[in-house]
Amino acid sequence: MADRTAEFFDRLAGRHEPLLGNAKGTVRIELESGGKTERWLLALDNGDVTVSHRNTAADCTLRTDKASFDKIATGKMNATAAVLRGNVTVEGDWELMVLLQRVFPGPPGQRGPGRGSWNGQGET
Amino acid sequence: MSGEALVKILDGNTFVVSDSRGDIEASLTDPTGLFAFDTRFLSKWVLTVNGERLNSLSTDDLNYFESRFFLVPGTGTVYVDSKLSVIRRRAVGNGFHEELTILNHDEKPADLTVRIEADSDFADLFEVKDALKKKGRYSTRVDDGRLVLGYVRGTFNRATDISSTAPAKVDEGGLTFAVRIEPHGQWTTDLDVVTAVLGSGETHERPKFAHAHGRLNMEANLERWLRDAPTLECDWESLHTTYQRSLVDLAALRFSPPIAGGRSLPAAGLPWFMTMFGRDSIFTSLQALPFTPSLAATTLHALGEWQGTRVDDFRDEDPGRILHEMRYGELPAFEERPHSPYYGSADATPLYVVLLDEYERWTGDRKLVRELEYEARAALKWIDEYADLMGNGYISYQRRNEETGLENQCWKDSWDSISYRDGRLAGFPRATCELQGYAYDAKTRGARLAREVWKDEQLAVDLERQAAELKRRFNRDFWIAEDEYFALALDADGKQVDSLTSNIGHLLWSGIVDKSKAKAVARHLLGPRLFSGWGVRTLAEGEGRYNPIGYHVGTVWPFDTSFIAWGLRRYGFDEEAAQLAAGILAAADFFDGRLPEAFGGYERSLTRYPVQYPTACSPQAWSTGAPLLLLRTMLGLEPAGEHLVVDPALPVGIGHVALLDIPGRWGRVDAFGRGRVDVAKKQQLRPQLEAAAGPGRPRR
Repeated sequence: MADRTAEFFDRLAGRHEPLLGNAKGTVRIELESGGKTERWLLALDNGDVTVSHRNTAADCTLRTDKASFDKIATGKMNATAAVLRGNVTVEGDWELMVLLQRVFPGPPGQRGPGRGSWNGQGET
Repeated sequence: MSGEALVKILDGNTFVVSDSRGDIEASLTDPTGLFAFDTRFLSKWVLTVNGERLNSLSTDDLNYFESRFFLVPGTGTVYVDSKLSVIRRRAVGNGFHEELTILNHDEKPADLTVRIEADSDFADLFEVKDALKKKGRYSTRVDDGRLVLGYVRGTFNRATDISSTAPAKVDEGGLTFAVRIEPHGQWTTDLDVVTAVLGSGETHERPKFAHAHGRLNMEANLERWLRDAPTLECDWESLHTTYQRSLVDLAALRFSPPIAGGRSLPAAGLPWFMTMFGRDSIFTSLQALPFTPSLAATTLHALGEWQGTRVDDFRDEDPGRILHEMRYGELPAFEERPHSPYYGSADATPLYVVLLDEYERWTGDRKLVRELEYEARAALKWIDEYADLMGNGYISYQRRNEETGLENQCWKDSWDSISYRDGRLAGFPRATCELQGYAYDAKTRGARLAREVWKDEQLAVDLERQAAELKRRFNRDFWIAEDEYFALALDADGKQVDSLTSNIGHLLWSGIVDKSKAKAVARHLLGPRLFSGWGVRTLAEGEGRYNPIGYHVGTVWPFDTSFIAWGLRRYGFDEEAAQLAAGILAAADFFDGRLPEAFGGYERSLTRYPVQYPTACSPQAWSTGAPLLLLRTMLGLEPAGEHLVVDPALPVGIGHVALLDIPGRWGRVDAFGRGRVDVAKKQQLRPQLEAAAGPGRPRR
């Protein structure tokens, strides 16, 4: 089975991401799975992202289980709502979390605003 | 609540609403309680002495985060002859701290049973508003002399921790003190109520009460806030009171979003709206720019960080869209409400660019404009790529979240606000007129930023061309020629929604109105159908749905009128702007300087005083900001390059006005004016306003 989390970080690694243009700092992501902890470290430098598994302290640490993060990485779970209900915990600089959530994908299969397509469907 | 006055104190997003005795006895639909993170942490907090409730003698709001209750035992008969006095002094922080003191005035010792009943329903603010049932599990435990109330639903975990300094017998319903007070002696205990928000897997150590910034710090912070704002000198005492009230309320409404790095921006209002709102935070920041520019900086920063980046139907989110509302409670956490955050606002996004430009014009802070270049471009792009639902070149809205999303995504967001003259409601999508004005303004201002700060001439030229084209089409498609005003909206068929509304005043503010049409618009705004004598009615008298106490269909909103006054001055209607300013500021006098969200649209000569809208939220940020914007408008303050232009047009009754130390890119400058615009001829002024005319009486 494909590792959704790894795919997500692969896509993020080494690219310049304008959505992270104002982000500077490190984010550690700890993912619990079957008694083991998978670790990711993101170094954010004004849009440039470096991804590693280095075990080092970070400015912001996110903790959740692997299954949840797989969903976040594919847009099936909303990261902010997950933080609000304690499914994902945040320690350290919350602003980095706010910036990082910008790069998570939206839910699949959305209708979207659909320019011009709603003519005549209005209620009265 | 037995009709008693509510006492509200707050710090950030934590606030306490109690009755005048300091007691809280909330029902699911009653807004009293201790609230934090949009959750009620205490729904019951009742003090008794020897089993008796207390009577309020007086309540002091020491400041917005602290109050004091003077009480005596008894049942509320006319004459109270008590040998005991009870004083509760309460301050807000991460919960609240209460100093409870009982004085014995008798010559004999007093043996008392003092009890505090405590409980929490952990209701989400949305549940308080809509009366919904809870899905989680409650717990109550007595632990090491303290009472811990808890609520758990999956990983969602909230707790209230109650403790005292004096020894208490603690049970699951509260704390009991067996007290003996010597003759003329006193007894005191401190009570701490601490709110705890726990994530999964965290251990719950005993939390300590703390003011977010320490009490002395909070006092110093408020003093600094007032000192940093310009000083107002004026002959009219009431204006001075209103100005001070506005500054203090604005300080109280500052909100540091739990997810925004400790900076503060204006929340929308107390008690329901102590959170980040796109529209309200932007409008208030605009109003307050000449006085407290730091609010605008935080608003731009926080809203920029939370800008939409993906398509999400549940949240009505699109890339580039600025949020409507953020909430932290249980329902958004479990996605039973979309506010994490919710993006269903059609105006916040263009207004974001308007604020960014206006902020730079005042402060010269180009660093922030460069930092937010990506966000501002994305906002401009949203206007064309995501907001044009009908493909006709206009912003329109229709919610995609049909269950819990907002139907009306403009500032008049109640269900019946967008109607034709005959009262029929317009279909969706709706392209309300003011949205097109904001889009025009955003493009025009975006062009300036592109040229001067981002050094992108091509973008500047494109935006200017689009703005000119939009203006041309708008003046053709929205103009109702026979009556000479702009339609409220275009409906789903592109037909005009033809009611006469206050929205046309926002068009003047945005500059989208052709010069040749402005005079007719101004005439309508000050005409008998829209102008009540206090301000501009949201919907004109005579329209099908007009109701002088209808939320968006007849009431007067001070914020609305303040932007209209700004718009009138933009087109050179100085007298008309002065008249609106005089009306709203005179109304403020009736509310001791604190303007409500809205008041009745009744004719001024009929009621003689402004009738408050029944459930209006107060203080409310953009009502608090209205007197500030009116001051700016009356003094004609306008940045021009590195200078501040002052071009006063003040109503006659106001006398002399001086605004000293106005901050901006020029450092600090003073503005002076004297009332010369005779608005009394047109409209009866309050006697106070007339009497205020006369020789200047400097206050400083």
